[in-house]
Amino acid sequence: MALPQRKTDIGPPNYEQFLPPIIKKNYGKWKYHEELNGGTMVHVAESGDKLWTVRVASPRILSTDTIREISDIADKYCDGYLRFTSRNNIEFLVSNEKSLEPLQKELKQKGYTIGGIGNRVSNIVHTQGWVHCHGAATDASGLVKAIMDELFEYFTTKKLPNKVRLAVACCVNMCGAVHCSDIALVALHTKVPPIDHDRAGKICEIPTVIASCPTRAISPDPARKSVKINEEKCMYCGNCFTVCPAIEIHNPESDGIAIMVGGKVGSLRSNPKFSKLAIPFFYNEPPRWPKVVAAVKNILETYAKHARKHERVGEWIERIGWEKFFKLTGIEFTFVEKVLICSPDCHSCESRNPELIEFTRTGFPLKACGNDTYGYFRVFQQAVEIAPTY
Amino acid sequence: MKKKYETPLLDELEKGPWPSFVTEMKKAAQKSDIANDGLGQLEKSFRTKRGYWKHGGIVGVLGYGGGVIGRYSSLPEEFPGVAHNHTVRINQPSGWFYTTKALREICDIWDKYGSGLTNLHGSTGDLVLLGTRTENLEAIFAEYSSRGWDLGGSGSAMRTPSCCVGPARCEWANIDTLDITYTLTQEFQDELHRPAFPYKFKIKTAGCAVDCVAAIARADLSIIGTWKGKIQIDQNEVQNYAKKGMNINAEIVNMCPTQCISYDGKTLKIDDAECSRCMHCIAKMTKALRPTGEKGATILVGSKAPIVVGSLLSWVIVPFIKAEPPYTELKALIHKIIEWWDENAKPRERIGEVIEIKGMRSFLEYIGVPPHPAQIKFPRKDPFIFFKDEDFEKVYKKGKY
Amino acid sequence: MEMDELKDKIFAFMEKYKGKKKLKEKDVCKGVAEEVGVSTDEVKKALREMIDVGKLMYSYGGGASSVEIPSEEYLREKGLIK
Repeated sequence: MALPQRKTDIGPPNYEQFLPPIIKKNYGKWKYHEELNGGTMVHVAESGDKLWTVRVASPRILSTDTIREISDIADKYCDGYLRFTSRNNIEFLVSNEKSLEPLQKELKQKGYTIGGIGNRVSNIVHTQGWVHCHGAATDASGLVKAIMDELFEYFTTKKLPNKVRLAVACCVNMCGAVHCSDIALVALHTKVPPIDHDRAGKICEIPTVIASCPTRAISPDPARKSVKINEEKCMYCGNCFTVCPAIEIHNPESDGIAIMVGGKVGSLRSNPKFSKLAIPFFYNEPPRWPKVVAAVKNILETYAKHARKHERVGEWIERIGWEKFFKLTGIEFTFVEKVLICSPDCHSCESRNPELIEFTRTGFPLKACGNDTYGYFRVFQQAVEIAPTY
Repeated sequence: MKKKYETPLLDELEKGPWPSFVTEMKKAAQKSDIANDGLGQLEKSFRTKRGYWKHGGIVGVLGYGGGVIGRYSSLPEEFPGVAHNHTVRINQPSGWFYTTKALREICDIWDKYGSGLTNLHGSTGDLVLLGTRTENLEAIFAEYSSRGWDLGGSGSAMRTPSCCVGPARCEWANIDTLDITYTLTQEFQDELHRPAFPYKFKIKTAGCAVDCVAAIARADLSIIGTWKGKIQIDQNEVQNYAKKGMNINAEIVNMCPTQCISYDGKTLKIDDAECSRCMHCIAKMTKALRPTGEKGATILVGSKAPIVVGSLLSWVIVPFIKAEPPYTELKALIHKIIEWWDENAKPRERIGEVIEIKGMRSFLEYIGVPPHPAQIKFPRKDPFIFFKDEDFEKVYKKGKY
Repeated sequence: MEMDELKDKIFAFMEKYKGKKKLKEKDVCKGVAEEVGVSTDEVKKALREMIDVGKLMYSYGGGASSVEIPSEEYLREKGLIK
């Protein structure tokens, strides 16, 4: 069968055609909303119209069959309209109150999980992991499933001092919003990748490999028609593997996960914050990563017990201080070797070593520089052994 | 299609109450070799604790430089179904609203050409179609684009803009996030599909400072709604919150970052002149408080994830700009911002990094925005200043000092 | 300059750097404009037409996009050669 004629540069369909009539009518004229239970809220418009939203958990990876099933439900109760949230939940939009209970009933019957609204744990924003990503140091979907099984009641019913946003990134490139989440998990490679020189010479473009390294740790190795890696500069990001599969970044023995805490994006009460390193390393333990899951739950429940109402995790920690945070959570505070990557506006190195000025533009891990405003923590080879005994 | 692989480890992830991605993969595996072998390879990853994917650079549709992410299995003999496992990014509609008709159409095409697996949605906001072969890409593009769906961005290009639910279903939206996102996506079609930038460039739009789309942390250009007028107070509703058990002094007054609220048990007062519009009180007492007066957006730039010199949060460039159709001023500003970045960045430098390198002055002078205290966290802490002659002529001789 | 002539110049420019340097779209526009003495916008327009018909193509690697001369495999896949 002949294919239809392709069109280019048309952009997405206009959103207006996907808005339910009640939204079109009350667009920009909403007055307030109320949370009815952990997964249901009602928005009331100036006109008096009411719109109920039922939020349902999603594993983000959805099969077309499930999307069709969701569509059938939306046809039955929501006149064929639905939406998704920025945290990958599904939202059923109900304009007729009579449809609300039957919808909730059918969702429950079919095994859907209603929740994620208000001061609770919402769905975890995450990356592709072993399902699809070439550089992943863990599986994101598996980790998310294991954590959310454990935190399930914090999604559906149990209340927390404020909302808690979790994120999982499967490597330091952090395709998810891990750097500003209440509790963030980031997977790490922890060793300088070995190079298969025979293959590298044959299948990789040497200049491209050199250019791929953000810390300029890679240089040519003309004798072997390959490249070499300066171990002092490598921060195991895996960008070289992306362009050259002969540089093997994966290492099942030493790839693992770090936990960072206290980030947020909203500007309410205090400025947005970055997540900060709490636990530098866990070994990968698929399929359920029990130690990571227990650590996340411990941080969440310690926060729930001690924080004041409306305090986010980061605000609570800043009020009580990091010392108290480590004490209350029982997390062992350990040494981590930090990769110092100099900040472009720092220049404190220039007086010591003028030759370095050129390098500062692309970020040069500079051990001589004492400025610690920027940079990575680096789980040093030995540190794997002294990681917390969680 | 019959079951091809035993997956004892993944089966563990079908247990427990949270919806399981493994169940989704198994559903798709009943119809698709790609999904079936994807499941088999994933089980192997769980067993051996490592991934088996290779990055593929040169897959795409004719004329475009993005929208398809090339992926190949490094074990194609063992898992032939995923020898190719490319993803296709479909530009989502603003606010992720759909009709079931549209979703079914998307599914029908995808079942024909791909794995039947999707991400609703990917990190940037696109509707992600997960897993197809190189030879299907042109057909996929023809099928979707002829029905009004275009590809999203990838590579060194404008990435698919995204936004919060905005005025469609939120009383706090100060700007029409959906329309802004749609308009800007259309404005930058060329930049989105044909990668000519030094690196990626992301735009996210949030209706207020609650920032449900993480614009301030995940976008090179963050557009966040704000207002200029007073916060209107409905004292009856304030009393209703108190009656329902809200400790207004502890939960609202004491948590106000600028301490501009007072409450004597009867009347709530706000000193609007000192309000920083953080949204805490409004978000907690949505029935009692609402912003009034002129609405618009704050424009911030610079946020990014940590690769390479560290993560950045966006900071204010323009404290207030009108954001109403046809958005002429907003569009012109964004074009200027991108132009400056494109001129000054080395490959793989995000705009936040380039401003740090080149300085705010170079950036602001180019885009024609005057310096403003809202743009800084605090002024410099030393008096080591390079004085330029022109600054004496232009500023100090004519200034107040 | 005639469009076809400009396209030949662009192709020659691409061949010169093939395998040596990954060229971004901007590198090509600037480089050819300088070499030939036309505006970068003209080069961009010609380049776009070449990419639209598969004479050149976009590529991606190591976090950056570039412009390349397509491989035979790519041309075959797009049905541009047999």
